[in-house]
Amino acid sequence: MADNASTIVGPSILINGNLQGDEDLTVLGRVEGNISLTRTLHVEESGIVKADIQVRNAVVSGVVVGNITASDSVEITDAGRMVGDIKAPRVIIVDGARFRGAVDMGDLDSPRATGELPARKVGSLTRTSAQSALPPRRPMPAPVRAATPVRAPGPITPAAGRRDAPIGAKSSEDETRAIGARQAPVLAGKKFKKKVVVKKKV
Amino acid sequence: MANTIIGSSIVIDGEITGDEDLVIQGTVKGKIQLKESLYVESSGVVEADIETQNVEVSGQVTGNMTASDKVELKSQCRMIGDIKAPRILIADGASFKGNVDMDV
Repeated sequence: MADNASTIVGPSILINGNLQGDEDLTVLGRVEGNISLTRTLHVEESGIVKADIQVRNAVVSGVVVGNITASDSVEITDAGRMVGDIKAPRVIIVDGARFRGAVDMGDLDSPRATGELPARKVGSLTRTSAQSALPPRRPMPAPVRAATPVRAPGPITPAAGRRDAPIGAKSSEDETRAIGARQAPVLAGKKFKKKVVVKKKV
Repeated sequence: MANTIIGSSIVIDGEITGDEDLVIQGTVKGKIQLKESLYVESSGVVEADIETQNVEVSGQVTGNMTASDKVELKSQCRMIGDIKAPRILIADGASFKGNVDMDV
């Protein structure tokens, strides 16, 4: 079997039943039942999979309802929606992904595998000549929530603007000084509270 | 408002509540309730139920988390427990076991 063999389930296709194989599978349409692969499953943005899935790698950019067991990795991309349980040594959920279910990465004490992840949708699609026949990619759905700041340490809410220094900058800080500085305002706060109580009683 | 930092040699057993960011480099057991962000740095160990706006985990956390905005599990972190938040990010290399609820 060619190393880069790949099956594509087109956008108008519905498969109901068991799907088993030893090559990559890209789902642009709909698959219901069971999927069992020794390679990578790509569920594209237009793809809907309602199945129990057993694969080596899974990349979810579309919709998956069901459980995924992967021997290597499961990734839910920013367009991915999934309800079900994930069991895999590597699980990646990026911002924008929607997921509900349990995550089991196995033995947490064992070192995490590194190595390359399966190519994301763009890579997997450009490989195939069938792409020209496909409809243009859907634009990304409008973000329901505000976008995440690019690696900014602070949260996105305006209230968080108070954070003065990024986390990384803090690690080298003198800890004792930091703790001492922290105690002072706490004590002051207590005193202040007591005063207020006394005033109320009077 | 100042950030609170719990240094790496500190062990706290009890409850932490507050309205400002909290950075944990040491050990906290019990309960953490914040209106701002919690940062568990790589040396930090938390065994607590956590209720905050944001959580960023680079260290170890055992317990359940509820965040009103976002939970981020960084690479190399280790987390056991359930997460409930509208936005949950799990980086490659993170270790996690538990339930995820994004209100899908």
